[in-house]
Amino acid sequence: MRLDIENIKKTYGDKIVLDISNMTIKEGKITGITGPNGSGKSTLLNIISYIDDNFSGKVKYNGMDFSKEVAKNITYVFQKPYLLRRSVYDNIVYPLKLRKVDNKSQTKYANDIMKRLEIEDLSNKRGQQLSGGESQKVALARALVFKPKLLLLDEPTSNIDSESVKIMEREIVNFNKETSGTVLIVTHNLEQAQRICDEVISLDSGKVRN
Amino acid sequence: MDYILQGFKEAISLIIRLDPEVFEIVFMSLLVSTSATILASSFLIPIGVYLGIKKFKGKRMVSRIIYTSMSIPTVIVGLVVAIILSRRGPLGYLDLMYTPKAMVIAQTLLLIPLVLGLTYSLAKSRGSNISNVSFTLGGSKFDSVVLIIKELRVDILVNVATAFSRAISEVGAVMIVGGNIKGHTRVITTSISMMNSMGDYPMAIALGIILLIISFFINSFIYSYGQED
Ligand SMILES: Nc1ncnc2c1ncn2[C@@H]1O[C@H](COP(=O)(O)OP(=O)(O)OP(=O)(O)O)[C@@H](O)[C@H]1O
Ligand SMILES: [Mg+2]
Repeated sequence: MRLDIENIKKTYGDKIVLDISNMTIKEGKITGITGPNGSGKSTLLNIISYIDDNFSGKVKYNGMDFSKEVAKNITYVFQKPYLLRRSVYDNIVYPLKLRKVDNKSQTKYANDIMKRLEIEDLSNKRGQQLSGGESQKVALARALVFKPKLLLLDEPTSNIDSESVKIMEREIVNFNKETSGTVLIVTHNLEQAQRICDEVISLDSGKVRN
Repeated sequence: MDYILQGFKEAISLIIRLDPEVFEIVFMSLLVSTSATILASSFLIPIGVYLGIKKFKGKRMVSRIIYTSMSIPTVIVGLVVAIILSRRGPLGYLDLMYTPKAMVIAQTLLLIPLVLGLTYSLAKSRGSNISNVSFTLGGSKFDSVVLIIKELRVDILVNVATAFSRAISEVGAVMIVGGNIKGHTRVITTSISMMNSMGDYPMAIALGIILLIISFFINSFIYSYGQED
């Protein structure tokens, strides 16, 4: 999915926290977003995902306005993901249930993604009992399992040990290669951006820095 | 002091003997308050969750109205229902006054703002995380409401139990619209109040003990359900 951002402005009171006149996120690429704390990175993802619909300007999704159809093809992994009060497995199949995928395929897709992310051993654990890093891995699995057209990631590897970072990066790249899904990833880690991103956008005080 | 001890002894024996009058009263109480709780909860829990997570203009005003109406006095609800159901009232032709149905109606109305307010404030404080999960994974507003109810089921159940406790322990509304008619609309609270004024302490104490046991039972049920999760 291709994104065109036109004249987006977001304010809290009279403080402008995001002000982007023009920006394009290319289809099928991995785009990194970097910038200091408070520069508006999460705000941008909130707007693109429509979690926050209180802004001025426009975001176009393959040229179209936001709609239920568009929403079904986008997903967003938060920095501090909320896992449901059920097993890890049931967390992962939740988006498949929403899409009325049959039980057999649910099991197949969930097992496949858990294997790829090497979290099979968490399968029967309760979502609410996981550590911060484990939650981030499961949230990534829950997002990848239904193969979205646009994947938004807010510092997905911030609590992750170096071994697991490799696994997660590998699967983000694989997802992008195999499905041509667009990825937008917020990261503070410039090396990570260099490793996996095709392009990097840098934000500062709500503005794009060239 | 002797009559108190005597009262307790007789009360215990009424309960152990499964006194038919005592059990008729207890049964009517449970029937009326359970029906009212189920009616109020089944409609107001989804609505409360929906309003709690929805962003709209004037939400502050709505919060204020909901919260202030939560503590509406029971006699006022009783009075309003009585006026509507009385022979000359707009729904007088239904002939519901002084029936268990009238009591269920009054208690349902009493519980509506309570269930709505408790659910609304729960969803407002803890629902947005959950609805974000559903929304970002492709769910509709309806999916969000369902997911929030499932995720917060323990807290919601506690709210339902709170509503039931309010219903089963209130006197004002059921007294006015039920009339405390023996064998027909007499419930635990209206009997206790009447027997107290007649000086029939054993019966009043027996019913008081049963009321306590019921609330103890409900609370321990909620506690163990909460532990499971
Ligand atoms: N609800 C809010 N009310 C007022 N200001 C807010 C609110 N949410 C965010 N802000 C402000 O908006 C600005 C951008 O915040 P945002 O969360 O997008 O930053 P970020 O780039 O994601 O930072 P970080 O790297 O710390 O995650 C910050 O200055 C923040 O204080
Ligand atoms: Mg952020």
